[in-house]
Amino acid sequence: MLPSYLTMGAILFCIGLYGALAKRNAIIVLLSLELMLNGVNLNLVAFSKYGVIPSLTGQLFSIFTITVAAAEAAIAVAILIALFRARGTVLIDAFNRMRR
Amino acid sequence: MSGLGQIPILSIILLSPLLGLAVIQLLPRQRASWLKIAAVAATMVPLALTLWLYADYDRQQGAASYSETYNWVQAPLKMNVGGDWFFSFQYEVGLDGLSLPLLLLTAIVTSTAALAAVHVKKRWKSFFSWFLLLEFGMIGAFIARDVFLFFIFFEITLVAMYFLIGVWGYYNRERAADRFLIYNGIGSAIMLIAFIMLVNTAGFHIVETAMNPQYIYSGSYADILRNLSDPGAYVNLPAESAGGNPFALGETKQWAIFILLLVAFGIKLPVFPFHSWMLKVHQEAPPAVVMIHSGILLKLGAYGLMRFGLFLFPDQAREWASVLAILGVINLLYGAILAFRQQEFKLVLAYSSISHMGIVLIGLAAFNEIGMQGALFQLISHGLISALLFLIVGSLYERTGTTELPQLGGLARSMPFISGVLLAAGLASLGLPGLSGFVGEFLSLLGLFESMRWVTAIAVIGIILTAVYVLRSVLKITFGQQREELSAIRDARFIEALPMVVLLACIVLLGCYPSVLTDTMQLSVGGYMDLLLATRAGG
Amino acid sequence: MDFFAKIAWIIPLLPLAAFLVLMTLGRGFRRAGAWIGSIGALGAFVLSLLVLSERLKPHAIDYSYNFSWISIGEYTLRIGFEITNLTALMLVVVTLVGLLVNIYSAGYMASDERITVFYGYVSLFTFSMLGLVLSDNLLSFYLFWELVGVCSFLLVGFWYARPAARAAAKKAFIVTRIGDAGLLIAILLLFWNMPGHALDFTSIQSIFGGHGGSFTDGITTVIALLIFLGAVGKSGQFPLHVWLPDAMEGPTPISALIHAATMVAAGVFLVARTFSIFEAAPAAMETVAYVGAFTAIFAAVIALAQNDLKRILAYSTISQLGYMMVALGLGTMTGAIFHLFTHAFFKALLFLAAGSVIHAVHTQDIREMGGIGSRMRVTAWTFAIGGLALAGIPPLSGFWSKDAILTAALEHNPLLFGVGLATAFLTALYMTRLFVLVFLGKSGSKAGEAKESPLVMTIPLIALAVLAAIAGFVELPWNGWLSGWLTDEVIEPHGSVAVIGLSIAAGLLGMLAGWLLYGKGIAGSQPLASRLPRMVKLAERKFYIDELYEMVFVKSLRGLGACLAAFDTYVIGGAVKLAGSAAGAAGKLGLRLQNGQVQTYGVAAVLGVVAIAVVVIGRRMLS
Repeated sequence: MLPSYLTMGAILFCIGLYGALAKRNAIIVLLSLELMLNGVNLNLVAFSKYGVIPSLTGQLFSIFTITVAAAEAAIAVAILIALFRARGTVLIDAFNRMRR
Repeated sequence: MSGLGQIPILSIILLSPLLGLAVIQLLPRQRASWLKIAAVAATMVPLALTLWLYADYDRQQGAASYSETYNWVQAPLKMNVGGDWFFSFQYEVGLDGLSLPLLLLTAIVTSTAALAAVHVKKRWKSFFSWFLLLEFGMIGAFIARDVFLFFIFFEITLVAMYFLIGVWGYYNRERAADRFLIYNGIGSAIMLIAFIMLVNTAGFHIVETAMNPQYIYSGSYADILRNLSDPGAYVNLPAESAGGNPFALGETKQWAIFILLLVAFGIKLPVFPFHSWMLKVHQEAPPAVVMIHSGILLKLGAYGLMRFGLFLFPDQAREWASVLAILGVINLLYGAILAFRQQEFKLVLAYSSISHMGIVLIGLAAFNEIGMQGALFQLISHGLISALLFLIVGSLYERTGTTELPQLGGLARSMPFISGVLLAAGLASLGLPGLSGFVGEFLSLLGLFESMRWVTAIAVIGIILTAVYVLRSVLKITFGQQREELSAIRDARFIEALPMVVLLACIVLLGCYPSVLTDTMQLSVGGYMDLLLATRAGG
Repeated sequence: MDFFAKIAWIIPLLPLAAFLVLMTLGRGFRRAGAWIGSIGALGAFVLSLLVLSERLKPHAIDYSYNFSWISIGEYTLRIGFEITNLTALMLVVVTLVGLLVNIYSAGYMASDERITVFYGYVSLFTFSMLGLVLSDNLLSFYLFWELVGVCSFLLVGFWYARPAARAAAKKAFIVTRIGDAGLLIAILLLFWNMPGHALDFTSIQSIFGGHGGSFTDGITTVIALLIFLGAVGKSGQFPLHVWLPDAMEGPTPISALIHAATMVAAGVFLVARTFSIFEAAPAAMETVAYVGAFTAIFAAVIALAQNDLKRILAYSTISQLGYMMVALGLGTMTGAIFHLFTHAFFKALLFLAAGSVIHAVHTQDIREMGGIGSRMRVTAWTFAIGGLALAGIPPLSGFWSKDAILTAALEHNPLLFGVGLATAFLTALYMTRLFVLVFLGKSGSKAGEAKESPLVMTIPLIALAVLAAIAGFVELPWNGWLSGWLTDEVIEPHGSVAVIGLSIAAGLLGMLAGWLLYGKGIAGSQPLASRLPRMVKLAERKFYIDELYEMVFVKSLRGLGACLAAFDTYVIGGAVKLAGSAAGAAGKLGLRLQNGQVQTYGVAAVLGVVAIAVVVIGRRMLS
């Protein structure tokens, strides 16, 4: 069973990665990040059930991750809204001020 | 010794510019005259002490007589092998016949340069602060006996010079300063690599104590030298010896370090293709700073080359003697021919410095006592002469507003004193007997002639060329018809004449009675030559 | 016994002291200048006379003293002084001419504002020249050799505002420096080859005189030729003679002292001092003789075509120095020294008399003079004595010394004898031309206001005239006192009636021809120029030697300089620029990556992770 879960996690992660790197809309990028996190969570849960030494730690850890991800998403969206107010756009190309 | 063992005289000399620096920080920034007096006074302290040291220098005692050692950084290392492991860098200063004359040169030139700084027109406070920091760095570099200490002082001079050029220079000062920093930065990076390689191998030694043996990586010059010359030391055992020897310095690595050092100090010297940064510095830096740069800092390159390149790796250096000699001849001729072409007096002097540093290389390449003495003598003599020449350049520029040769002429009429000194300095530079330039040149050539006759014969052509370019430029300035607009200028003020007279007196003294210098250098040079011969016999 | 020899080191110090005092005083003390300079010279002269008087006793013992100048390990460079008969003689010549020139200059330079500086330089020169004469080894000889060179340079360029003086001074220094380089290499060779690294003349003499030593013929010849190169530069021999005529830009007393009597003779003195090396190298001897002979006749021809009073005398000096070189090359060192001795007096006399003329008429062009003789009787008479001595008319001094050289030439080499005789003829011819054009005939354009010079100038002239007349009697064809004294051997009389006859005939013929051509004007006002225009033009332009050197050396040096400058700018500067722009380009590349887009950074990071993964996994799979 483990390989299927892992494959599923990897696919999720890769889709997320692609989205995070390639999409121009910041909202989509955020969603993609969530997708990557969930891919990781899937791995954690899968290992906690079917791993060499099954234990609850993995599931516990995934709860933590979800919590942190929620917090992160909240902050990210807040920043995005602030940016949108300032710049009038959520296209990620416009946010290259780090360069200067 | 007269109780010198108790007084840390070298540290006092080293720290006195810093004291002056502190005093200057307390003075108000608008008071130019106070600042100048304080700066000159601060440079007088090391001068007086060094003079006293020179008179007192106990020739029989050799290098050990004034050395001071304190532990400075001792970093414990975690190693799996038993015993205590340390990185150990000492504050270790010492003096020998190699560094003492250079130390005295530093003191003399810095004092005269401080007097010459009357031409500085702005921001005196920071000028003199950097100036004294520069002196601190130079003194330190000449007396440091630990490779990292040396490196740090060397870097201090770079930083101080950078600001002195970049802020107080002429029109293109910032470019010149950048170029100076980049070149010398590369040079010192290369030097650092070489030093690290040295400390990792030759610097390693074991001190047996009652409790645990101490394994020490040391930067101490004495330790490195002892290890390198001791055939039983770890550094000289083959890497494949019982259990492997990580401290071995094989043939290849030795060559690598030697060449790295050659490049590092070659940039500073400067050796032929690395010279272009120096031209800019000569052209753009303020005269008082060029006095120090051309008078002392170039010598720092030669000093490093001798102390770390030649003395630590005599075999490699001997094998490359012909390379050194040819580089020297190239420097000599190349500098002379290009100096002949320049229309700007400062550039003439810059190329002339390249040419004269060629003689130093020639002397070093000789690999005998005469050549070594000649190279050292040439260092001191060129330091004095170029300091004098740039002192004059400063006075000249202040009066005429230019140092372009076509715009000058006939100055002997309105400023006979300065013109006379310029002529004397020029004659010293072209190696007139009775002035110091001749002795260094003659000894270097004499030394090299023993082993490489044809190379020396070619080098002698350089002496003719030197006469050509020196006379061309000096006569262009002083002889001939005076231009109308230059007729109103005045001769030297007392404050300008004083350093000129002092420098000229030193030049004449060394030219007429060179023993005053050669005898001091002899013990060290002789000692090192014995060492070199011993390694040849051993290897 | 040798008390004065022991304190001979004081002799050069007196002029040195004068120099130092004058330099300290500065320009203010105008009258003091002449006094201080002359007193220094007088003291040196008196002491030199005392030294010489000591040497005149039979079998005086040479005295030398030296001390360590630089001591390096087992090597020691020494300097010191030595009194031999030769040096004692030279001491007197130098100090005597120096003293007379000092006195003379008080009149000649009286109106110059830098007279104090002038005396300072003259004193410095006297010091260096005496030091050179006294040196007991080649190293100290070389030191002073360079110093006299620099004094000559300073004095040639004394009127620094004139561009010609500046160029002449520079030329004098640089051309002689070429010779000096040869001498320097010779010293280096000797130092490393002599047993015990000795450089003193006594050791050189004993080694090369055949008492041991490890010199092969090749090295000996090379050393001799290099030393001769030094002498060629200093003594204005072909091909390094070009500086000497130009050096006439200096004040005339200087031409008399430095460029006629003393410094230019230093080359001859050098060869005489190291004569044993030359004797051991026959090829070098021949070179010396032929170079000397060529120079002698070559310069005499040029002198015939010049119109500048001092330049004629300068070429005459070159020619006479060539004579001395011939003597050296023929092996008669004493003949050379004898000629040096007499030449010092009559040539100094000629220059000082010429200076007296120039002082009066303010021109140096002999075509503008003429008929001065009646207005300046003392000058004319003394000049005549000097001219006759130079032309080799008995019983004046020049005759005897020239005769000694010609006798030796006839014995060894008839070709050189012929050249010598021809030169003697030409010498008489150009001197007659000079005398006739300057002192006789119609008044020239500038001769009108000529007045006799003051006593302070004429007294040295008279003194020198007396010496020029009688100095030759120290050595006569039937009584070789001077050569016996110099070499400390008994010399067989070597006179030859044939030589005396031919020599007198050459001199008289030359004078007759000169009188007919220029005095009577039998062949028109331009006797030679109309007959042999090409030849005269060639000689007038000094055979285009200067132009040749300009083309070959100066131009090529400039060309080389231009090439190297281009190399410096484009190759070395280009490499620096290339390194700089390479760093810049790398920065630009980095900047493109650093575009502020977090996503780009992310891609880069992912690619990096992938690369690392590939490497790690790949390695694992490979192993």
